[in-house]
Amino acid sequence: MTEDDTQEPKTDGGGGTGIVAPDDETPTWRQRKERTQGLSRLTYEYFERARREDEDLRRESDYVERDVLAFPTWPHEIVRNLAITSFFVGMILFLSATLPPHIANPANTNVTPGIILPDWYLYWSFGLLKLGPLNPELSILGGAKLMSDRTYGVLANGVIVGFIAIVPFLNKGSARRPVEQPFWAAVGVAGVTFAFTISVLSVKNLMPMDVHLLFDLTFFAPFVTGCLTYAVLKTMREGYMYDLNRRYYRLRPPK
Amino acid sequence: MADEFVKGLGLFTGAGLGWLVLAGWYRTESFESPRQLIAAPPDPETLFDAIGIFLGDVFFWTALLGAFTFWLLVPAINQFASRGQSS
Repeated sequence: MTEDDTQEPKTDGGGGTGIVAPDDETPTWRQRKERTQGLSRLTYEYFERARREDEDLRRESDYVERDVLAFPTWPHEIVRNLAITSFFVGMILFLSATLPPHIANPANTNVTPGIILPDWYLYWSFGLLKLGPLNPELSILGGAKLMSDRTYGVLANGVIVGFIAIVPFLNKGSARRPVEQPFWAAVGVAGVTFAFTISVLSVKNLMPMDVHLLFDLTFFAPFVTGCLTYAVLKTMREGYMYDLNRRYYRLRPPK
Repeated sequence: MADEFVKGLGLFTGAGLGWLVLAGWYRTESFESPRQLIAAPPDPETLFDAIGIFLGDVFFWTALLGAFTFWLLVPAINQFASRGQSS
């Protein structure tokens, strides 16, 4: 292993030993013995063995430090994926056993249903069609509306879709975590919240609350969550270590 | 701090899942009605119904109070205690 003889900047910061703790950070026997209980002991042994294996690999001369360090597929990622898979399979079994979905009568194709709804993932677009109260009554037209509420809703869809279509052409910058760009993270959270609230607005007749309050909350809730996100991330930034990410990405230093 | 967070999260999600199931049993007339999970429970006919309705309330308040305790109350007490020590 070559250290300190090259001044070439490395993605892990050059100094130190990357992902493996250096020898003087190896836990003492006393620290090892402190973890004596079941799962924490098991977890500790697992990580300690992984650390030890990596340390042994490092001692071999042909071990090259990659730009992006990673965990081995076996056992790390397989065990993790098995745990995640077990969780979701268990959740599916549990919910299907305790809350079996209601199977409705077969649809009668001869009758138009009273309430026509799109699939749930299109509720946001359906909700945008219900923005009639936002359609301004212009005094210059004698209190008349420039366009009908239906046209207004269709145009609102165009605005939202157009805005989303612009996103791939924006420079995504060097930030890789929300904490590094609190403002844009807040914009994203507000957008996600708006997608949810506008979906709820689209089925306002099914919501057990006042329709006018729901309409106001549709636009107020994204603002609140955006402000909350910005405040939380801005606070987190003070304790955030940019060096952590430098191991994986070349980062622009914060302003 | 992370320990307190996961304790609150565990209580919130675990008890919330239990409440969801029991409210789906006893507080939902139909999954097409606008009042799901919040309708008044029926009068229990059997002992199991009574236990289920009671446990639903227990889970509901466990989820709320558990999250409140470990996310707000305990950190606030800790912060207050450490501030008192340092000054």
